[in-house]
Amino acid sequence: MEITRRDLLKLAGVGLLGAIAFQGCRIPERELRVESPVALPEDLVTGRDNWYATLCQQCGAGCGILVRVMEGRAKKVEGNPDHPLNRGKTCARGQAAVQALYHPDRLATPLLRGQPVDWEAAVAELASQIRQNRGRVFLATNPLRGHVAAVAQAFVQSAGGTLMAYEPLEDTVLRAAVKRLSGQDVLPDYDIANARTVFSFGAGWLETWGSPVRWSWAYGVFRQGRPGERGMFIHADPRFSLTAANADLWLPVRPGAEGVLALAVAYVLIEQGMASRDAADRLTAGRGLAALAAYQPEVVAARVGVPPQRIREAATLFGARRPSVAMVGGSALAHTNGLFTAMAVLSLNALVDSVGRDGGVRFNPPPPLGLPSIPAAPFARWRQALEEMRAGRVGLLIVRGANLSYGLPAEAAEALPGVPFRVFIGPIADDTAQGCDLLLPEADPLEAWGTDAPEPGPGFATLTFQQPVVRPFRQGMSFGDVLLEAGRAAGLTLPWANMQEAVRDGARRLFALGRGSVRAGDEAAFFTGVLQRGGWWDTQERGQGTLRPEPAPATPPAPRFAGEEGEFPFHLIPFTPLGIYDGRGAPLPWLQGLPDGTTTVAWQTWVEIHPAQAEPLGIREGDWVEVISPRGSIRALAYLHPAIPQGVVAVPVGFGHVGMGRWAHRRGSNVFSILAPLTDTETGALAWAATRVRLRRLGQRQRVPKFEGVVLPLQLEERPIIPVVKEA
Amino acid sequence: MSEARVPSQPATPPDPQPARRRHKWTMVVDLDRCTGCQACVVACQAENNIPLNTEAIYLQYRVIEWIRIERYWEKHGEEVRARYIPLLCQQCDNAPCEPVCPVYATYHNVEGLNVQVYNRCVGTRYCANNCPYHARFFNFWQPVWPSTLENQLNPDVTVRWRGIMEKCTFCIQRIRRAQREAAQEGRSLQDGDVVPACVQACPTDALSFGDILDPNSRVSRLAKDKRAYTVLKELGTGPNVIYLAKVDPYAPAPKKHDHH
Amino acid sequence: MGLGKRIRIVFLLGGGMGASLLGLAFLVLVAPRVVAHYSWSVERLFRQAPAQPIAFSHKTHAGDAQIPCLFCHRGAAVEEAAGIPSLQECMFCHRLIVGTTEAQQAEIRKVIEAFGKERPVQWVRVFRLPDHARFVHEAHIRAGFTCADCHGAVETMREVRQVHRSLKMGDCVGCHRQHGAPTDCATCHY
Repeated sequence: MEITRRDLLKLAGVGLLGAIAFQGCRIPERELRVESPVALPEDLVTGRDNWYATLCQQCGAGCGILVRVMEGRAKKVEGNPDHPLNRGKTCARGQAAVQALYHPDRLATPLLRGQPVDWEAAVAELASQIRQNRGRVFLATNPLRGHVAAVAQAFVQSAGGTLMAYEPLEDTVLRAAVKRLSGQDVLPDYDIANARTVFSFGAGWLETWGSPVRWSWAYGVFRQGRPGERGMFIHADPRFSLTAANADLWLPVRPGAEGVLALAVAYVLIEQGMASRDAADRLTAGRGLAALAAYQPEVVAARVGVPPQRIREAATLFGARRPSVAMVGGSALAHTNGLFTAMAVLSLNALVDSVGRDGGVRFNPPPPLGLPSIPAAPFARWRQALEEMRAGRVGLLIVRGANLSYGLPAEAAEALPGVPFRVFIGPIADDTAQGCDLLLPEADPLEAWGTDAPEPGPGFATLTFQQPVVRPFRQGMSFGDVLLEAGRAAGLTLPWANMQEAVRDGARRLFALGRGSVRAGDEAAFFTGVLQRGGWWDTQERGQGTLRPEPAPATPPAPRFAGEEGEFPFHLIPFTPLGIYDGRGAPLPWLQGLPDGTTTVAWQTWVEIHPAQAEPLGIREGDWVEVISPRGSIRALAYLHPAIPQGVVAVPVGFGHVGMGRWAHRRGSNVFSILAPLTDTETGALAWAATRVRLRRLGQRQRVPKFEGVVLPLQLEERPIIPVVKEA
Repeated sequence: MSEARVPSQPATPPDPQPARRRHKWTMVVDLDRCTGCQACVVACQAENNIPLNTEAIYLQYRVIEWIRIERYWEKHGEEVRARYIPLLCQQCDNAPCEPVCPVYATYHNVEGLNVQVYNRCVGTRYCANNCPYHARFFNFWQPVWPSTLENQLNPDVTVRWRGIMEKCTFCIQRIRRAQREAAQEGRSLQDGDVVPACVQACPTDALSFGDILDPNSRVSRLAKDKRAYTVLKELGTGPNVIYLAKVDPYAPAPKKHDHH
Repeated sequence: MGLGKRIRIVFLLGGGMGASLLGLAFLVLVAPRVVAHYSWSVERLFRQAPAQPIAFSHKTHAGDAQIPCLFCHRGAAVEEAAGIPSLQECMFCHRLIVGTTEAQQAEIRKVIEAFGKERPVQWVRVFRLPDHARFVHEAHIRAGFTCADCHGAVETMREVRQVHRSLKMGDCVGCHRQHGAPTDCATCHY
């Protein structure tokens, strides 16, 4: 064969390239090394996992978890099977806790006026500020329980100032209703596992509301865990939420009319003789059915948005299939008549005699050891507090877990600069951290000591113990430790030197009680036992309580809305998506990338609108839409939702942050920025479902990032893959 | 793939081992318990080093979820209902994905699992093409985790490279670990020893897992439920995931199903 | 055809053939060696015992001192990886044993220094399986095999080298077949 010079060069080149390519197939450098660690405890073996019990803080429920740790790294979160609250189960948010621990945008060092400083200097600065501002300190936190609540209280008491907890979607109204009807300031548990009928109003208890893991576990039992007995679930909600999707009967109640619906149900119960005499007398002030004339189903049907026969059907189920339990929360209480609604629904439990019984409403005892519980303060009080800050009456503001600039953007933007020195404590700088003078990196919950008395609890005294499962990944310090260390440096009188000591002290005092789930010969063994089990509980120490209905108003208080119907034709119902929750999950890619429960949308703010209402507006799926309220506007991607009632649009909360890491920064829109500052008339809680909006097409379109469509649907009309049977 | 033939005398006699029992791993999904909460989805992602599903990947329709919740709308006149079904690799006895792999990277093993051998896969994607459940996912892109998130990766599970097919393995790493522990303790596997990540996370206990050849296991009991069925049964794939039908007391007789 | 032309043809043909022979020779002889040099150089490296950061002698520890393998490589009896002992473990003895000869003292000083400065020692791995193969030491110990069955007589080695087995897949499968162990792919590849 003839080979030209060109061919020869080509061959040589190929051979050389081949040799180079094969070099790419070389074994990577790191596989040629193996290292001797400096120290390895006797019981640790490479490749073997260790499990540590601790507390999940990805939402307010406070489930007990076990964390799998391999060679000092947290790998996986599982539920703690021993823990009475969640019984070994977890939710999507809890599973993502390890991503929070290893988030790349966690603050690495304290930052003082934008400059990195070491902890010594940071603590010194904070201590100096505390000393200078005695009496003018403001501590803004998330709702606190357990020992960290005690530390925060002691701190503020000694320093002189105010401690207030903030939660954008607060539980103020429900607490106030429970207080009014029972005299107790505690959130009750609902014994769904033993109930035959559950009637919930607005509360997303299968998603993110209350204690979702606990009640989801109970739901499983409720449906198929009792042979021959399948529970019936009725849900009233102005929006087709995931919880509504699982109901046997969904009542698409008009926003703000939930209370009227509840009393219509009460009317039917009393009319049909299914109600407890005592409770009925209280509700009607002894005047019988006539006192509830305004709530007759036929009279209120139009206002409530549910046909009268449906109301009667739901009421009959609720009254006849006992034990039955009624729950209320979420958007049902986010109106100006929220308290009225809350009391009306809670009264239903009294009517069917399910308070303090199996299958009904269960009260929880107060937290063990007299530990405080600091719930969120109402919106109206926060506006007052921000006004004080604007007026310069606060010298030092310490913020932790309270994203004021996100929940009250307009008010906070004006007020916060009025505070001369602001401190932010958190893992990742969030909206409120922008503009703070001192940023302190907070230890992740998996790196911190603490305790928690879950609320709602399991019905008996429970104290979960939180312990570090790994060494600090970034140079974070836990919130409690920051307060204690800086406080002591500032000369404050504080009960413990650090959180570990506080927790140890708690264990000591529990040991002294001589009862409960952990028994040991001495205090040290007791502490080990408590840490191993994940906490301490005493099933004998149960809560007591009753719900005494108040007389129903002769005419129901009508909800007020912001915006006239003519100009703003839609009710805006904000809601918490499964992953992102109220914004807490926004930094984590697993949760941003989690498809929403009914729409399967991820990563972007969307607005749910009924197709019949989108059409006249010329809106199709993927259109960028402006959602305009009397207060402002945001943009959202349109999603045509076949099940949302007409006249209602829904937008998820939790997006539109500034900061919070690369996956959350400037992604989506912040619904809070367009909510009108209407409040519940009696408690001052934010009526976040009381804003009306109109929609306007912006002209831009894009594909909606959603899970549906990724895989071709398997279910076909001629060949369904989900058969449905009528009986269990 | 045939097993090794019975060998001659081993060089060193092995320790006395408990009688090795055949297993046939089965999962049961109770659709009446499933709420569509997606705890299983995140648990699987955490356990199995699933690549991050960024927005860009969503827009390319290349989301990888070994277990996914499919939501179907059911319209009855004015009323609309949503139905949820968790779908994962069915580990079919008669898997359509197995015979079509040109390099024999997927096969059925004696425990009833459809095994995907990552190091053999060359990425022809014929197997995913053939799977009627769309249970297989291809790594079109090189999975990337920002360096600190790599600390979370599970060392028990291989991290897949670009160009490799992956799917639910019934958490075979957990099966192997449980088998090892049982052998170390000198006993056979009990029902409840092996718990895949999704089953462990599921708050409502909608997912159950076990050995259907064990007559006392939970899955054996549930498989006899009158609501039990398998998806796409008429295709004859022989799935090892058994579903229990959704119960709806208000379901009207003839249903009109809509594509989602 | 003239003579000149013929000579040119012969030269061209000869040159062509020579060049093609050169090309073939390159392909057949040189390229594989280049390839072999890069991809299997590691194997050759292992057979020749790579230089380690500290001249640890198994002959001294496991041979003369008769320390059992599992004393340091604790994981072998319980887990997948046998594990490399921590410096803390070395210090159990070497905080007292400083060595007799100059050479010994120099090496032991390296361990003490690394422990003091909390710097892990990076050894060159000799027994290596690729990432896609999982090997569980514990199962093999349980089956009754000894360390020497795969690693050779390490207690006689001053420097560890892989000589006893090739540790390639064929080697593993052959042994599995011989002893009735599973040859299911999912035994090691999952």
